[in-house]
Order: sequence, then structure tokens, then C-alpha cells
Amino acid sequence: VRLARRLRWLPVALLVVVACAQIALARRAALSPWVGGGFGMFSTTDGWGRRQVRAVAVRPGLRRELDPTRVPPMVLLRALALPSDRHLRALAERLAAQPTRDEGPLEAIELQVWGARLDRETLAPRGVLLRAQSVRFDGR
Amino acid sequence: MAADAAARPPRRWLRELARLDALDLALRLTLLDLLLRPIGQREMRPLVLGLAAAGLLLPGWQRSRALWAALAGLTALRVALDWPLGDNHAWLLAYWCLAAALGLAARAPRTILAGNARLLLGLAFAFATLWKVALSPDFRDGTFFRVTLVADRRMEPATRLATGLSPEALAALRARVERQPEAAPGDAELAPVPTRLARVADLATGWTLAIEAATALAFLWPGRRAAPLRDPLLLVFCATTYAVAPVQGFAWLLLAMGVAQSPPRPALRLGYVGVFALVLGYGALAP
Repeated sequence: VRLARRLRWLPVALLVVVACAQIALARRAALSPWVGGGFGMFSTTDGWGRRQVRAVAVRPGLRRELDPTRVPPMVLLRALALPSDRHLRALAERLAAQPTRDEGPLEAIELQVWGARLDRETLAPRGVLLRAQSVRFDGR
Repeated sequence: MAADAAARPPRRWLRELARLDALDLALRLTLLDLLLRPIGQREMRPLVLGLAAAGLLLPGWQRSRALWAALAGLTALRVALDWPLGDNHAWLLAYWCLAAALGLAARAPRTILAGNARLLLGLAFAFATLWKVALSPDFRDGTFFRVTLVADRRMEPATRLATGLSPEALAALRARVERQPEAAPGDAELAPVPTRLARVADLATGWTLAIEAATALAFLWPGRRAAPLRDPLLLVFCATTYAVAPVQGFAWLLLAMGVAQSPPRPALRLGYVGVFALVLGYGALAP
């Protein structure tokens, strides 16, 4: 009973801490404002569903564009919603594990996460690069 | 009592509903929310459904500390497993289940739940307003609603009704919005959005900002001065917003929390249950 009384404002404190952290992540790490517990849903067109990943496998003398939708959906969705080092690395690992006919050691997978900004007057979308990262594999 | 017993069933039910304890009604509506909109994946979903059903059906379980502690744990686990993809509703549900567990473990559950409900609601609306007013330029300038009215297929009936757009015109605008950025022609080649759509979007933007900011202020304003505004604002917000926004589970959670902090007035009890049913009706009528 005493512990419950002491912790009675814990839910409120958690809400404030998570919402502030979400704002920081959205500003600094391109977290989609729609997710992350900061109550940014329905506040912007920058939902993760409007984002895209472009992936390129780099081998000696060869660059091949990859289809990021071939990895498990949650891995891709996490990278779209929060393109952090960890989530991009996880996506690159899954892409590197996909079968390929290309020969030669895999040097890196280059990833770009793009968002879309829509023109107010015409609603025409314009691509905005949110994050670019090269994940090195050093000849796997 | 004798008069109640003699009353016809609908009137008697309404009287009984109006007399329900706020805490019990809030917990019941939360459990109903969990049953109507099950959460979690695979193993978690049957557990949450089982707990919600037990809370509603088994005598005494509704106020069980263990039940609410388990629900708090499961809803928090869901948010953690889904990180960062959990939506606002998922987070707020976890906080609310934790508040219920803590409240039911204390000597004054009504006070703790009412206090948490008021602050959680006020803060949720305050952060939502902050995002819309200060952090998202594309909301403030009306772009968000212009895009959403066109692109969100779940809003199509409301959009067509409000803007007068034909299905073909709406489809053409949607194709424009959904085009890949690199495939889109230059802005000069595209006609601006129809004037009526722009006006409806501006109206929706202004209304959303006004009702959310007012609700945040009413719930967070210290003292009793703003207290009479809290329940009407929340009820109006839920009755209007969720007629078009397809997020019933969020509406039901807000209403359950609203009941917990509301003063013991029969009209308010009926108002909360009525809007809960109204949102259920919106879902049933949705295409």
C-alpha cells in the first residue's frame, strides 16, 4: 500500500519523460513523429508509411540496387520509423543475407532513408533525405 | 427503489447506469476497449483478451490488483517489443493500466485514478497540441489535412461529403499524393488543390488546434476554475474527432479515463457511455 502510494504519479512521470525523449529523437534522429509515445500522431505528413529506403550492395567493381521489402517487415518498418545506427545495421544484415547471383565479396551496403514533403498548394511530393549510412561488411 | 423497479427497462437501465461508481465504470470501459480492440501479437493477444473478459465477467476481478498489474505488464511489454512503432494509444493504455494497478493497490483508489486520469489526459492533449502548433509546420499551414483528406481512404465518405469532390477527382488527387517523389512532375504542371478542399482542410486544422488546446488547458489548469469545462470538451472532442478519425480504440481509452476523473453527476455518466456507444456506431457505419 505504501509503495503504491509513493509510486502514484509514476504513470504521469513516465508519460512526460517518454514524450520529451520522443521529441528529442524526432528532432535529432529522424524518428517519425507518428510513433515513439510523444503524441505526434495526426500532426504531420511525415509518417513512416510515407518514407522509403534505398539500398545498394557494393562489391568490387559492382553496385547493385536491392529490394528492401524482401526483409522481414518489422526490420524494415523500424528502419523507416527510426533510422538509427542499430536499425539500419539490422536492415543491412538482413539484406546481406539475401541470396544473390553477384560474385565477389560484399564490401558494404549503402542505405538511404527518404521522407516526402508535400507541396501545400499542389500536394506534389518532394523527396527529402533523412539519413544515409554505409554499413561495411569487409568482404563477407 | 420501488419506483426504479416499476420503471420500464430502458429508463431503469439508464438510472442504474447513472448511479454506477466512476471507478467501476472507468475500469469496465477500459476492459471493454481491450475486448473490442484486442492488442498485441500472437501469444499476447489471447492473454490480454482473457484478462479483459475475466475482469468483466467474474465477480470481484474488475478491481483485482493482480489483474491490472498483469495488464500493465502486458501493455508495457507490447510497447517495448514494438519499439519504436507503438502508437499513442498503446503508450497511453500502458500508463493507464499502471495507474489502475497502483490505484487499486492503495487505500484511496478513486483519488489516485482520478488524479492520474486528469493529468494523463491533460498532458496527452498538451503534447499533441505542442506537436501541431510548434513542431510540425505542415500541420500549422494546413498541408496535413489537405493530404489526409485526400490520401486516407478511411476518410473518403467524409471528404466527399464535405468537399463535394467526385470519386474521380478524389482518385486523381490521391494518385498525385501517393506518387513517388522522383516520379512526380514539377509543381508548375500541376493545378492547385480545389478551393473547397483547401477551405475544409483549413477549417479542420483550426478546429483540431482549438479543441485540443482547450482540452489540454482545461485538464491541466490548477484548481477548480476550469473543472466544469473538462468533461464537455472531452466529450465533444471524442464525438466529433472519431466520426472521421478511424481510431476507435483511442477514443474509448480517452472516454474511460474521462469517466475516472469526472464528478459524480448522472448526466456525465450517461454522456460518457453515450459517446462510447456513438464511437462504436461510427465504426459499424464505416465503409
